[in-house]
Amino acid sequence: MSTVGITAMVPPELVYGCGHVPVDLNNAVPTSGAVPRGKLCAWTATWRDALLSGTAHVDRLVVVAGGDCHNALADGQRVALSGIPTHFFFYPFDGDVAYLEGQLRAFEAFLGGMRDPSAVGAVARIKDLALELDAARARGDLPGSVAFNHMIALCDMRGDLAAFERSVREALSRRREVGAAARVALVGVPPIYPDFHEVAEGFGLQLVFDELPWEFARLGGRDIGSMARSYSDYTFARQLPHRLALLERELRDRRVDGVIHYTQYACHHMLEDEVLRSRLDLPMLTVQGDLPRRCPEQEKLRLEAFAELLAGGRAR
Amino acid sequence: MIGLDLGSTRAKMVRVLGGEVVLRREVPSPRWRELLDRVGPEEPVATTGYFRRQVPGARAITELTAARWGVGALVPGAEVIVDVGGQDTKVQDLRTNRFVLNDKCSAGTGAFLELVASYFGVGVDELGRLHAEAAEPADINSTCAVFAMSEMVSQLVGGRTRADVVAGMHRAFARRIAELVPPTGAVVLIGGGARNSGLRSELARILAREVVVPEHPEHVNALGAVEYAASAGADE
Repeated sequence: MSTVGITAMVPPELVYGCGHVPVDLNNAVPTSGAVPRGKLCAWTATWRDALLSGTAHVDRLVVVAGGDCHNALADGQRVALSGIPTHFFFYPFDGDVAYLEGQLRAFEAFLGGMRDPSAVGAVARIKDLALELDAARARGDLPGSVAFNHMIALCDMRGDLAAFERSVREALSRRREVGAAARVALVGVPPIYPDFHEVAEGFGLQLVFDELPWEFARLGGRDIGSMARSYSDYTFARQLPHRLALLERELRDRRVDGVIHYTQYACHHMLEDEVLRSRLDLPMLTVQGDLPRRCPEQEKLRLEAFAELLAGGRAR
Repeated sequence: MIGLDLGSTRAKMVRVLGGEVVLRREVPSPRWRELLDRVGPEEPVATTGYFRRQVPGARAITELTAARWGVGALVPGAEVIVDVGGQDTKVQDLRTNRFVLNDKCSAGTGAFLELVASYFGVGVDELGRLHAEAAEPADINSTCAVFAMSEMVSQLVGGRTRADVVAGMHRAFARRIAELVPPTGAVVLIGGGARNSGLRSELARILAREVVVPEHPEHVNALGAVEYAASAGADE
């Protein structure tokens, strides 16, 4: 089976169904220790350099060009210019299902057409299990770090459906009550620090929501039509009011005490920080990461101070 | 009770008895252990600052929490705290429980003031006096410490006085801090940087509102550590 590098979420059920193995290029970034040259966003620049240098290899590439950022689009084109067969995928800004169906059909053609429908069902089964993981962490029955480490991998299922399903089931079997001082939601793109969740948990912050991994789990489909209907709801590709409405619902249902907004240096999502602060009526900590490294001391100070604040450590 | 603010550059100590500060001491941070030379084992210690966990048995809190408690004790009605420390500047809005720290930049920190003072061959406490002698602040545009230094050199080469250049630096420094400050709210300035009168006046001018500086602004966090620990002890 050939490998298909992906720069952001595209339906893994379609990639597996077409007989290929997706490789989410982002998942190797946090532990890479990379110092990419000529970068804006370290996420995109790191996978770009890995592909251009041959450190990472994929047989073909799909660049999410609509619904992701222009840093990814520019870096994806630089990789495409190196000769790797590349497809550009566009999510609709307005949630147009027919448009997305056309995009999915073009993507399916790029992949050579559906060959293994059973893989589509296997992906759906794993996503259902992932939603159970998400529900367990929201209830406080599972550390947020355990849920995150699995849910962040839902875009490529670590390249092995059977092994990944076993890993998710094993995590589900280890449910236990998590004692934590405060229930916190993590919104925005995932942190580029590989130990972020563990560090936050060390300060008593129970991460009961991870915005983007939750998107990975909740969206899916059994055929092109149902995939188009589901993935057209992908909030990161849509207008802000759509995303805010879903966020408000999830934060309310999960009874969060505070919000951490993770932003990436040179990422356009930083510009949304003021909107989130004005709309989400909760204490909010904004963290801005840059290079892929273990969580720096300065960020640990912010997390600890936020934990103290949520625990009531303020003057009366 | 002893309050220690073991900051990145200076270590500060207060001793609080009966709600009053009866002793204040300060040493360079690498020598912070000297502050405990005359402290008996029975006297409780509360700490904050970068080195806060170095003191065995002490109740340690972050500088952000310490600032809230210290300012809460000293300045009733404070709504926004601006803490200009050695390595970073922290701004807290007490109305919304939100805080921001300057990111990935030294231009808004005490370390930058030390660099400038060193360049001019004066103590960091003399920068305010130089500022007061300025006829017109020189134009310093850069928000990067390194480039701001280059601009200062260029202004001196162009014939501007030391006082004008220092005043221009304070204006650029205050402009950078002001970006972090909410548009409304009563502002309290603390930390070592608050001792700089040039910075104080420029920040008030840019924010177009009063900037309150408590007496001994560099000791507010040490006091806050004591206030927090005393309150937590009372709750237990």
